[in-house]
Amino acid sequence: MYFLADNIISPLGNTTEQNYRAVEAGRSALRHYPAADAAVLGGCPAETFPKDNVSSEPYVAARFSAEQFHDIEINGLTRFEALAARSARQAIDQAGIDVSAPNVVFVLSTTKANIDNLRTGEEPDETFIPSVAAEHIATYLGFTTKPLVVCNACISGVAAIITTKRLLDAGFFDHAVVCGADVLGRFFLSGFQSLKALSPDECRPFDIERIGLNLGEAAATIVFSTSRSRFRVECGAIRNDAFHISSPSKNGEGAYLALQAIQAETFHDDLSFINAHGTATMFNDQMEAVAISRAGLSDVPVNGLKGFFGHTMGAAGILETIMSKEALDHGQILATRGFEETGTSVTLNLASVNRTASNKRFIKMISGFGGGNAAVLVHREDEEGISFAKIDHSECKINTLHHIIVNSHTVTLDQEPITCHDCGQNLLVELYKQNIRDYPKFYKMDPLCRLGLVASDLLLQAESDIPQAVIIFNHSSSSQADRSFWATVSDPNESFPSPAHFVYTLPNIVAGEIAMRHGIHGETSFYILPDRDEHFINKIVNSICREKDFVNALVGWIDYPDDEHYLADLSYINKA
Amino acid sequence: MEELIKEIKTNIIEVLNLEDMTPEDIENDAPLFGEGLGLDSIDVLELIVMMEKEYGIKLKNPAEGKEIFKSINVMAQYISDHRTK
Repeated sequence: MYFLADNIISPLGNTTEQNYRAVEAGRSALRHYPAADAAVLGGCPAETFPKDNVSSEPYVAARFSAEQFHDIEINGLTRFEALAARSARQAIDQAGIDVSAPNVVFVLSTTKANIDNLRTGEEPDETFIPSVAAEHIATYLGFTTKPLVVCNACISGVAAIITTKRLLDAGFFDHAVVCGADVLGRFFLSGFQSLKALSPDECRPFDIERIGLNLGEAAATIVFSTSRSRFRVECGAIRNDAFHISSPSKNGEGAYLALQAIQAETFHDDLSFINAHGTATMFNDQMEAVAISRAGLSDVPVNGLKGFFGHTMGAAGILETIMSKEALDHGQILATRGFEETGTSVTLNLASVNRTASNKRFIKMISGFGGGNAAVLVHREDEEGISFAKIDHSECKINTLHHIIVNSHTVTLDQEPITCHDCGQNLLVELYKQNIRDYPKFYKMDPLCRLGLVASDLLLQAESDIPQAVIIFNHSSSSQADRSFWATVSDPNESFPSPAHFVYTLPNIVAGEIAMRHGIHGETSFYILPDRDEHFINKIVNSICREKDFVNALVGWIDYPDDEHYLADLSYINKA
Repeated sequence: MEELIKEIKTNIIEVLNLEDMTPEDIENDAPLFGEGLGLDSIDVLELIVMMEKEYGIKLKNPAEGKEIFKSINVMAQYISDHRTK
């Protein structure tokens, strides 16, 4: 899969070129913002928040100014949608492809999309659901195929690139527009504040004095193609820590396994650099340093870009891949702004200032909530006439070994009904008490995770071999957890954002919980679709099964729109 | 103090969703983390929210929490010394 065109819109500029020049010159988008008056925040609908001031505590972030947002606005689209649409439009125009063709797909990478449209206690409004936003954007841009949302917390951007590569390699599409975006509102800020993850000053990735991250808003788009160009995504991997839903593993297990997987796929000693996640939290950077060292890559130059853009969440993996690709093209390794003195237990070859480099490959790595880690290897091909192994478009054969359906009234395992008496959310508690009992963490989970845990436990009781990967699809994202968390934030008199509720507002946590429960260190992925389109789901599953090292997986639909209409429809599959 | 201890236990059970537990199940001097109730880093953060919401005590740093949440006895002493509501 090849890069055809790209774009970055951040507070530093509206094109890849502008952003690259700004970072090369050492300019950062991070600014200090004061706390807003509590009375202003309490219970206000999101659109009435002062745009630059939505937090009860002072904070540092990379935000668009009111003027910049004014320029981004598109009639009929939300701020988030307009930002993504503008970035995608620029990249599409540059690529010169016709997006109305049936061989082009739109892939949106986001963590929370239009989350500030969420209201509690009012008429159902689905615009806060990421697939609804994706449809708005895709329609505006003129796509005729259905959009795919990759919602895998902070690793979404790199996970979207990997997912797209598989779909193109499998021959399902010829071009893909992969866009990552997120905007900052009160939902995000209060959530990260409740996790005590934000630094009150500009972040310092990998530095001894780092104390937390800064959030940022941006959109970044890459148009990928099966047609040859100078930059190619060689391979990628997603692996899970199976350790904790919000803390990275102490030995960097998932990140190490992801790095190992891409080295096993294609080992090269001509790596120019590794672009790390480098959020500047104590645990993330330490974990990455351990993982890089375990993978035998401690000598390779490492950099991190959060000191320029902040953590741009759903955009991060795509934005940082584009910046790294540009750096490779310019023969440079960009500086890690904020880094001065090693603050990790193993010493990395950190680029503290811009360096020149001549090698032709880089690795982009990333980690996030739900225990997910991902890495991709990108190659600049200068030599003419290199031929690659022809891509095999034949579909792989998949066996379904076990199958479970759990809805609000019935449970069916391998076509046999399981007797139960309760219904709605009580049914899940009944199933837990009858069949599991030894995992009290169940009671801490949001409804989506409870459903996923119970269904996967029942399914895996029928199978002694633990699956290697967990691939989940749904429509409603984490809507129940979104509402519960928002209820702890939006009370005008009693705003106490709950960290335990916030972590479950990332829907991929359900895949992470299943991985943790069963010790699954392979891929965990979460996709949101406009509807339950089996044809599209099969394409994605099929493209995953075509991976060389694929053995078996737990795949299916886990959706919890409300207590009456939830559904888990999961299969345990292997490659025939 | 007895009353405060019982109230703290009830609050902990509620905010941390310790289903099937009663205040009597939690010992006053047993560690809350690690081998005790098996609480984790998100639970620490949730207890920090509880301290502010119920007792008006603001803790800036999660590391402080680790000391204060050593046991129910330590928590009760800290709350009675520092509470503002």
